[in-house]
Amino acid sequence: MIWVTWRQHRAQILVTAGFLAALGLLLLGSALEARSFVAAHVPGGCPGGTAFCGSLEAAVGLGERYDAVYSVFGWMPLVLPALVGAFWGAPLLGREYERGTHLLAWTQRVPVRRWLAIKLAVLGGAVVAGGLLLSLMVSLWRPVFREGIDSGFGNIGIFNMTGVAPAAWWLYAFALGTLAGAVLKRTLPAMALVVAGVAATMFALFALSDHYATPQRTELTGSVVLGDPDARLVGGGTWVDPAGREVGTADTPAACERRLDVGRAGRNTDSWHKCLFDAGYRYAVTYHPPSMFWRFQWTEAGILLLASAVLGGLAVRITLRRTAGGTPLPGAHDSSRVSTRTPNSSPSTGTRSSLPWNIPK
Amino acid sequence: MNALEVTGLAVRRRRSWVLRDCSLAVPAGRVAALVGPNGAGKTTLMHAAVGLLAPARGGVTVRGQAAFVAQDKPLYETFTVAETLRFGRRTNDRWDEEAARRRLDRLGIPLGGRVGRLSGGQRAQVALTLALARLPDLLVLDEPLANLDPVARHDVMRSIMAEVAERGLTVLLSSHVVSDLEDTCDWLIVLNGGRLQVSGDIEDLLGGHSVLTGPAGASAAGCDVVGESRTGRQVSLLVRGGPPPDPRWNARRPGLDELVMGYLRSPASAALPAPAEVAG
Repeated sequence: MIWVTWRQHRAQILVTAGFLAALGLLLLGSALEARSFVAAHVPGGCPGGTAFCGSLEAAVGLGERYDAVYSVFGWMPLVLPALVGAFWGAPLLGREYERGTHLLAWTQRVPVRRWLAIKLAVLGGAVVAGGLLLSLMVSLWRPVFREGIDSGFGNIGIFNMTGVAPAAWWLYAFALGTLAGAVLKRTLPAMALVVAGVAATMFALFALSDHYATPQRTELTGSVVLGDPDARLVGGGTWVDPAGREVGTADTPAACERRLDVGRAGRNTDSWHKCLFDAGYRYAVTYHPPSMFWRFQWTEAGILLLASAVLGGLAVRITLRRTAGGTPLPGAHDSSRVSTRTPNSSPSTGTRSSLPWNIPK
Repeated sequence: MNALEVTGLAVRRRRSWVLRDCSLAVPAGRVAALVGPNGAGKTTLMHAAVGLLAPARGGVTVRGQAAFVAQDKPLYETFTVAETLRFGRRTNDRWDEEAARRRLDRLGIPLGGRVGRLSGGQRAQVALTLALARLPDLLVLDEPLANLDPVARHDVMRSIMAEVAERGLTVLLSSHVVSDLEDTCDWLIVLNGGRLQVSGDIEDLLGGHSVLTGPAGASAAGCDVVGESRTGRQVSLLVRGGPPPDPRWNARRPGLDELVMGYLRSPASAALPAPAEVAG
């Protein structure tokens, strides 16, 4: 069965492996080039004894190199799970039904239950391994550029490419695709459903993630921007008057006049902020600090893992219910009964000769 | 001894019954023809026999192992013929690789060719080889001759018969073309509208029925009439048993297609063995 699984799904496995290898080479090349850029200025690398490490030149140089690669994988947190769901999950049952080959596969001696168990385990395992490998590569590559700047917590895209998130997302998409294929019995509609489902789940979890932990609250003076760009803000900020009460924007003192900015300039808003801070107002923000990284990772992975188990279980249940319910196929022993329930009616009279048949109601 | 026993089988799809209260048995070593119009429930009965669907009521018993070739012979298109054999070897415990390779070699089907590029006849032979290599006791074939040209039909049928003669396996095959089955089958099962109409030995059935032709006024009293057809003043009857007392009838033994057509035209008639025999 493992050979059968490999033979039927080797295209997906090889393409995914090839993609991960190409991405790995790209990240490796990028990291090595960035290292040599730094080493050209500071022999020992950063942080080093010279002023270069904190300089604008270093920041701009590394930033440009980082952005060049980031532009390549900026779309990956959403697109990769969608692709995994569409090409690993959807065809698993969808294509069998579509081509009628389930009639071939499920009438061999391997019971349907076992067929499903092996396919789901092998392909699910491969998907998880692929996701973890992606995470590992990104986690090794990013610090070269972002060491001491951010941990990837604040940017939801980066967050979903590191830690256990990619593996959890890939597995979820795979399970969703499998279920879609089992229900729709067609590959293409199942693929479409997976893409829509993964996108919807991603937005739903993004909205839900504010509640993974109790956010922290702090009151800022002098600036409305939280010092740590890596933190995740929860909702908008509010003004707090000198007495410590939160006030709406409309209730801020009239002495500080708010005028609208024209175009992209922020001068009027800035001076309004300054006026309020000078009057003793503070700006309160709630946020999740970057130290919540692993708590958020495991919470999200837990939700996705549970969802994967439910979706996968449903796919198995639907499939088994359509067939003879996972009972061994005919001939498990010398003689076997496929399915036996008490016949509700059977003719009670008759002889060997041809007889008129009482048509049962 | 029966190779296949079906007792009180009923299958429901959505709100309607596809099969109702089917009870039949096929003795070991027989080649049974399952005939009936489209939508009669032939495929459903076969799927229930090989465990592809869960019946609402009743059960199916197969003595030994069953191998199944579904309608349109589904195979993995991207596999080579050799990979198709490997698939069979990996998913079955009983497997005769030698015989399968010999069989394909004799038929001139190259092992390296892709299944998707085979002709219809070759495809049918590969599907049949896959089923036969499992050394089944019961071979279930759903419309094995559909979409095949006359030469391929003959070849496939001959292959099945050779295997029957060699191994004494039991075959259940469906068709809606009765003439395909005349020379090869010795057991007849007629299914119509989800109900069983006929199940029995073909020789016994043909011997136990007569076709009567006579003038429109002839009396059919004392006859067990299955069905009748009229052409002008001529009446043609299919009856159970021998010729009736009225001497105006001209009696003869029916052909297989006449027998099948006679029953299919009158769905209320049935010729079935006693349930006691089925259960035994």
